[in-house]
Amino acid sequence: MRVGSRGAAVRCSTSVGTACLVLVAAAAFSGCGTRSTSPAAGTFTPATPGVLTVATSDVPSPGFWEGTPTHLTGGFEYELALALADRFDLRSVRIKIVSFHRVVAGDLDGADLALDLITPTDARKEHLDFSTPYLNEAPTVVVRSGTSISDLATAQDLQWGAIRSTTFVDLIDDLVAPDDPVRIYDDQHAETLALLRGQIDAAMYDLPSAVAIADNSHGRLDAAAQLPQPENIAAALPEGSDNAQAVDSAMRAFIADGTVHDLLEDWVGSDAANASKSIPLLHTTLS
Amino acid sequence: MSHLLPTLPFASLSVKSPSGPAWEFLILFLVVILGPPIVRRFRGPGIVGLIVGGYVIGPYGLNLIGAGDQTVPELGQLGLLYLMFVAGVELDLALVRIHRKAVAGFAALTFAFPLAFGYLVGFSLDWNVAAALLLGALLSSHTLLLYPTVRQAGLSAETGVATAVGATVLTDTAALVVLAAVSGSEVEGGTPATIALQLVVGLSVLIGFSLGVLPLLARIAFRYLGTDRVVRYLLAFASFLAAATLAESFGIEPIVGAFFAGLGMNRLVPNEGPLMERIDFFGSAVFVPIFLVSVGMLLNPSVMIETETLKLAGLFIVAGIGGKTAASLVAHLTMGYSRPQATLMLGLTIPQAAATLAATVVGFNIGLFDQSVVNAVLVLILVSIIVGTLLVERSKAKVAPPVAVGQRLGKRILVTVEDPAQAPLGFTIGARVAAPDTGIVRGLLTSSPDDAHSRSSLLDELSAAGFAAGVDTEPRLMVQSSLADGILNAAVAEEASFVLIGQKSGAAASAFGTSGEAVAAATPIPVAILLGQTATIREVQLVRTEPTGANHTPTPAARVAEELANRIGGTRVRTRDADGAVRAKELEPGALCIAPAESWQLLASSDPPEGAAIVIVLESGMPWIEDAAEALPA
Repeated sequence: MRVGSRGAAVRCSTSVGTACLVLVAAAAFSGCGTRSTSPAAGTFTPATPGVLTVATSDVPSPGFWEGTPTHLTGGFEYELALALADRFDLRSVRIKIVSFHRVVAGDLDGADLALDLITPTDARKEHLDFSTPYLNEAPTVVVRSGTSISDLATAQDLQWGAIRSTTFVDLIDDLVAPDDPVRIYDDQHAETLALLRGQIDAAMYDLPSAVAIADNSHGRLDAAAQLPQPENIAAALPEGSDNAQAVDSAMRAFIADGTVHDLLEDWVGSDAANASKSIPLLHTTLS
Repeated sequence: MSHLLPTLPFASLSVKSPSGPAWEFLILFLVVILGPPIVRRFRGPGIVGLIVGGYVIGPYGLNLIGAGDQTVPELGQLGLLYLMFVAGVELDLALVRIHRKAVAGFAALTFAFPLAFGYLVGFSLDWNVAAALLLGALLSSHTLLLYPTVRQAGLSAETGVATAVGATVLTDTAALVVLAAVSGSEVEGGTPATIALQLVVGLSVLIGFSLGVLPLLARIAFRYLGTDRVVRYLLAFASFLAAATLAESFGIEPIVGAFFAGLGMNRLVPNEGPLMERIDFFGSAVFVPIFLVSVGMLLNPSVMIETETLKLAGLFIVAGIGGKTAASLVAHLTMGYSRPQATLMLGLTIPQAAATLAATVVGFNIGLFDQSVVNAVLVLILVSIIVGTLLVERSKAKVAPPVAVGQRLGKRILVTVEDPAQAPLGFTIGARVAAPDTGIVRGLLTSSPDDAHSRSSLLDELSAAGFAAGVDTEPRLMVQSSLADGILNAAVAEEASFVLIGQKSGAAASAFGTSGEAVAAATPIPVAILLGQTATIREVQLVRTEPTGANHTPTPAARVAEELANRIGGTRVRTRDADGAVRAKELEPGALCIAPAESWQLLASSDPPEGAAIVIVLESGMPWIEDAAEALPA
C-alpha cells in the first residue's frame, strides 16, 4: 500500500470515528440543552421558596426596568432576573425597591440579590459578594442636546451631577475635576429631572443606561461622550451568600449563550450594544 | 523633623501604588520566571508552580491582579488556544499509522472507561447530562507530561509507549468532540436534532478545513511567503486562529478548532524542526504559562478546603485514575502487554493537564461548572501528575528497551550537496520522504577548506531552495578535507535516519569509489546518491531487482528504494525491471529513477540526461541496513 493511500486511510478512519462519536454524543444529548442549572454549576436556595427576590433602586429606569414596581413590563435587568429565575426553576420574580446607597452598603432588604448597574469595588466587596460581571461599560456623559463637551476644559466648565454612592461621584472629581462641586441626587429620576430642568449640565451613567435615557428623552438629552476606562457591572449578593456560585455560573452562561447581548439589544437597542464605537471619547486627565 | 518636610523638595513627590498593564505584565512574568523553579526545587512539576503562582497574585491571593481584570483572562484564552494547537502539532501521527490497530484499541479503552466512570459520577451527583458528559470527557483525555522522561530512558520506540502516545491523538480528539457537543448544546441551544445537525455540519467543515484546506494553504504560504522565519511563525499562529474562528462561527469551542489546526499542521511542523522550536519557545515562555497562571487565579483555597470540593476531588480522582487503570488492566489482559508495559502505559496516560484544563475552563466559562468543580479538577490534576510520575519512575526500569531496529526512514534526513543547483531536487526528495514521519530535513553544503570563504555565500541559495520545497533546512557549510569523513560526522551528529548525497556525476567517481560509498560502508544509516537534477518530478521510476536476500526476499536496499519511490512518487510510481544496469540515458526529462545499487560499478555508467535524475540506494552488506529495513512499514 502506498503511503499516500495509507495516510488517507488513517484520515478516513479518523473521520469515520469522529462522525460516529458525534452521532453517539448527539444521541446522548436528548437530555441536554434544557438550560436549567445542575449542582455542578452551584445550587440556588431563594429567601422565599419558589420566588427570586431582586433589589433595585429605580423603577422605572429606561431600558433596564420598564413599567412600575407593581407592574413591570420589561427591561434589561428585569429580563435578566426572569432568566435567572428560569435557570433556578423558580416560578416568579419579586422586586424590592432599595435605594442605591443602601444596596452598596450591603442592605438588600432581604432580597436574594441586587441588579442595579452596580460596579464591584473593593469598598463594596466588604459588604457584598459579586457575581461575574455581566456588563463592562464605559461611564458615559449625558447632556442636554446642544451642549458641547468637546474637550476636558469644556467639561470642567459644566455643572455636574451624580447619584449618591455611585462610583461616578469620585470618577467625576478624579477624571474631570470640574470647577464647581458635583451635585448629588438620591436616584436616577431626580438626577435626570435636574438635567432636563437645567439645574445641572452633565450627568454620568453607565453607557447602556446613558443611551437608553437619551433615547427616552425625545431628543432633549444626548449621550455626548464616554470616558476611556470601562467599569464592570455585576449582580450583588449578601456577603457570604450560599447562592454566589450559582449566580456566578448563571452569569457566565448568559454571557456565553448570548442572552446578555440579546437582552441589551432588545431593551436598550442595537445602538447601545455597539455604542462604544459611536460615542466620542472624552480625553480626561488619565487618558 | 516633620516640620522640615514642607521645605524639602521631597514633600512634593507623589508615589502612586503600581497599577496598569506594565505592572500586571511584570507580576505575570515574575510568576512565570519564579513559579516553576521554586516548585521544581521541591521535586514538583513546574506546571504546579504556575497554577499556584496564579493563585498567589490572583483575587483569592494577594489580589495583585483583581477579579475584574480583563487582560490576563483574555491572554489566558489566547494561551489556551496556543496550548491546544501545540498539543495537536506535537502528537506523533506516524505512531498512529504504524501501530494503528493497537493504538485504536487502547485509545478506545483509555477513552471509554474514564468517560463512563466520569459520567456515572456526574449522574450520581444529580448533575445534568451535559455536565456529567463533560466531566467524563475531561477525565478521558490526558497529557503526555511524562513522555520526555520515558524518551530519555530510551523507550520512545517501545511498543507500549508508542501505543500510549499514539492513543493520545484519538483520546484527545474524542474528548474535544464531546466538549464541542456539550458546549454547542449549552451555548447554542435548540432541539437535539438541530444540535446534532449543527455539530455534524460544524465538525465536518472544521475537519475539512483543518486537515484539508489549511495544510494546503499553509504549504503554499510557506513556499511563497515563508522565506522569512518570522513570517513562518506568524503563519502557524494565524492557522490556529483561523481554525478557532471557524469553529466559533459554527458554535464549536475555539479550542477544538485550534487542536484540529494543530493536527492539520502536524506534518508541516516537524517536532524537531526549527519552526517547532520557535512555536515551543514562545508557547513555553509566554502564552501557555499565562494560561496556567490565569487558571491559578480561579484557585480559591476557601472553596478548595470545603467538604463539597474535597468530596468532588475524591470522586474525580477515583473516576479518572480508576478509569485509566481499568483501561491499562484490560490492555494487559487482552492485548498482550506485559505488566510493566501496562504500568508504564498507565503512568503515561494518567497525568491530566492540557485538555483536562481546557475542558474544565470551557465548562466554567459556559456556566456548566462552578468554582468547586474547577478547584476539584485542580486537585485531580495535581494528584494525577504525582501518581503518573511515581508509576513511570517505578516501571520504566522494568520495561526492556526495544531492540534497535533503526529509526524511521524519514525522521531526520540529511541532504548534502556540492553543487547548490542540486539543492531544490535534494530538498524536494527530502521533504517528501520526511513527510509521513513528520521528520525534518537538514541541508549541508560541502566544501574543501580552500573554497570555504567563497562558498559560504551560497548558503542563502540553499536556504531558499529549502523554503521552496516547503522545509526549513537551516543549511550549514561543512568544511572538511575528506568529504566522506565530513558527511559521516554530520550524519552521526544529526542522528540522521537517511542521508542523501548530491553528486555532480557518476562518472566522476574515483577508482577508489565515491564519498557515498565510503559513508555507506561506515555508518548504520541508509545512504543514497543523487545524480542529476530536474526542476519538477513528473514521474518516479522504481527499478526492481531480483530478490536475492534470505528466502528470496528483496534486499534491504531494494526495500529502502521501494519505500523512497512510494514516498516521493505517491501514485505516480512506474516500476521497471533491472536488466543488468540502469539505462540512465533513456530517462525522459522530469523523470526520477530510483534504484538499489547492485554493484558499485553501476555508478560509473549512470549519469542521467539533462532534466532527469537518479537516486541510487547503496547497499554495503553491513548489518545496519537490515535493521533500517526492519523499521520500514511492512
